Amino acid sequence: MSFRDNAVIWFSFIGLLISVFLINNLVDDWGRLSGSWNNLTIFISESLWPPNWSVIEPQAYPVCTVYPLFDFTCSTAWIGIIETLKIAFISTIFGSIISLPLALLAARNLNPRWISFIVRFILAAARSLPSIIWAIFFVILVGFGPISGILAMTIYTVGYLGKLQYESIEGISSIPLEAGKSMGLSRYEISKGIVIPENANDLISQIIFMFEYNVRHGTVIGIVGAGGIGYYINLYLKFLQYDKVIAYLIIIFIVVLIIDFISISARSLFTEEGDSNEDSIFTSFLKLWKETILPQGLLFFSRK
Amino acid sequence: MEDENKTPIVHLKDVVIGFNSSRPLVEITNMEIFPGEVVAVTGPSGIGKTTLLRTIAGLVKPISGYIHVCGSNPSKILRGEVGYIPQRLGLVRHASVLHNVMLGAKTNQKLPKSYFSSKEEKNYSLKTINSLGLTEKINEPVRRLSGGQQRRVAIARTLSQAPSLIMADEFLSELDEKTINMVLREIIDYVKNSKAALLVVEHDVSRAREMADHLLVIDDGRVNPFISETRTILLEAEK
Ligand SMILES: Nc1ncnc2c1ncn2[C@@H]1O[C@H](COP(=O)(O)OP(=O)(O)O)[C@@H](O)[C@H]1O
Ligand SMILES: [Mg+2]
Repeated sequence: MSFRDNAVIWFSFIGLLISVFLINNLVDDWGRLSGSWNNLTIFISESLWPPNWSVIEPQAYPVCTVYPLFDFTCSTAWIGIIETLKIAFISTIFGSIISLPLALLAARNLNPRWISFIVRFILAAARSLPSIIWAIFFVILVGFGPISGILAMTIYTVGYLGKLQYESIEGISSIPLEAGKSMGLSRYEISKGIVIPENANDLISQIIFMFEYNVRHGTVIGIVGAGGIGYYINLYLKFLQYDKVIAYLIIIFIVVLIIDFISISARSLFTEEGDSNEDSIFTSFLKLWKETILPQGLLFFSRK
Repeated sequence: MEDENKTPIVHLKDVVIGFNSSRPLVEITNMEIFPGEVVAVTGPSGIGKTTLLRTIAGLVKPISGYIHVCGSNPSKILRGEVGYIPQRLGLVRHASVLHNVMLGAKTNQKLPKSYFSSKEEKNYSLKTINSLGLTEKINEPVRRLSGGQQRRVAIARTLSQAPSLIMADEFLSELDEKTINMVLREIIDYVKNSKAALLVVEHDVSRAREMADHLLVIDDGRVNPFISETRTILLEAEK
């Protein structure tokens, strides 16, 4: 067996050696690790556990006026998570509205090199900072609250989604593009009539993925004051009420799981194979939506 | 060629076609296609038939020579004047038959200009779809159609452009005998009535002779397509 055959094993081994060297370099006092297990058990038993579920009880003020069965909707956890979902949703929609035209300009197969270079640079700049850093920036610029969160996540969405989009646009077959070009269609008409419909599955599933991504990241931007459930986490961290913090984290975990699950099942419908499967009632409804209602609606609006 | 008074729709003079000047594919000293004419190109595969069509459509730059298509340079052809049907069709597979055909109608210069899709464009598209027997499939996504049906969609898209020049690359493959007759009748009727020109690549020499006024045989008598020597171009007058 040659080195080539075992390349993966060799690379992992060498990588491991380098890591051991680096970690030794970074950590100067290994003794601190020895007490950590004890610290952790004390921390969990005394301040973290059990979670304090008062966070899903209605707040004292403002007075909750909904039907008692639904009074959890007056709780900080509910208000926070809904705000996070709203911020994620709005940012995803705004972000994808801005990113699609940019992605069409960034695609090398549709544009001269210099145009795609400039647009790629803008997109790279937008995603060079994680959304939480953008959030700090906008909190300084426009103050605390969800507006800062929306601005931060919209910018990050433009950068990240734009990259996903132009990469899948560059993957489409050149033949429809040539056909459109030889007819004399303009670049705008080729984008609207050929590129977007040919790529619709990818584009939609990327937007759903981006929403899922934004929900996950939207939970932390509140920590810097940009809105959402992170605000409460930060608040109770400051008051050292870790049992409440853990309750929020459990809620976030569950909500993210649910959103992930919905996102994965929704995206699985927007694949080529997704069309040929035998239909359940659910998928036939979605198919009806996707192939009849949605295109007809788009057609309707495109005819003004 | 027969009528000296008409201006040709396609005119090539001393043209060298290919991707690399050290390895030209096809050299054509003179070729003119006049309104109402059908020219079929035959030759072994890999010799440059597709490249010839793409060059005339302005998608590939010729190595050298003079090319005039519909009154202009191939890179500046007027909108809708050239209907090019690639061998692999280039349809928008995820969109409906109507959507694809309306892309052609959008460039149709005989219809009033419109920014959004107009009623005239839709009606014209429906008419060509109907003439190719696809009326039942209007709203079907193209990828769900058979190979032969997809070919007819591509032809409908081209006809709805009302082009002056149609170029079709092996467009009769995958069609059954009955459909071939229907498609040929539609396309040749269009060419004769609208005084357009038709340039087709046809593998089957006997069928090429059957449909074409002139036959363009590209043949170097060798298998290697990269040999840089002048290829013999026989322009036989048929009929
Ligand atoms: N984009 C391209 N770049 C370089 N060479 C190409 C390209 N497209 C085709 N060729 C080459 O040009 C030659 C002619 O191809 P083509 O015109 O498709 O032949 P035909 O249609 O007669 O079968 C082939 O050898 C092919 O490999
Ligand atoms: Mg070919």
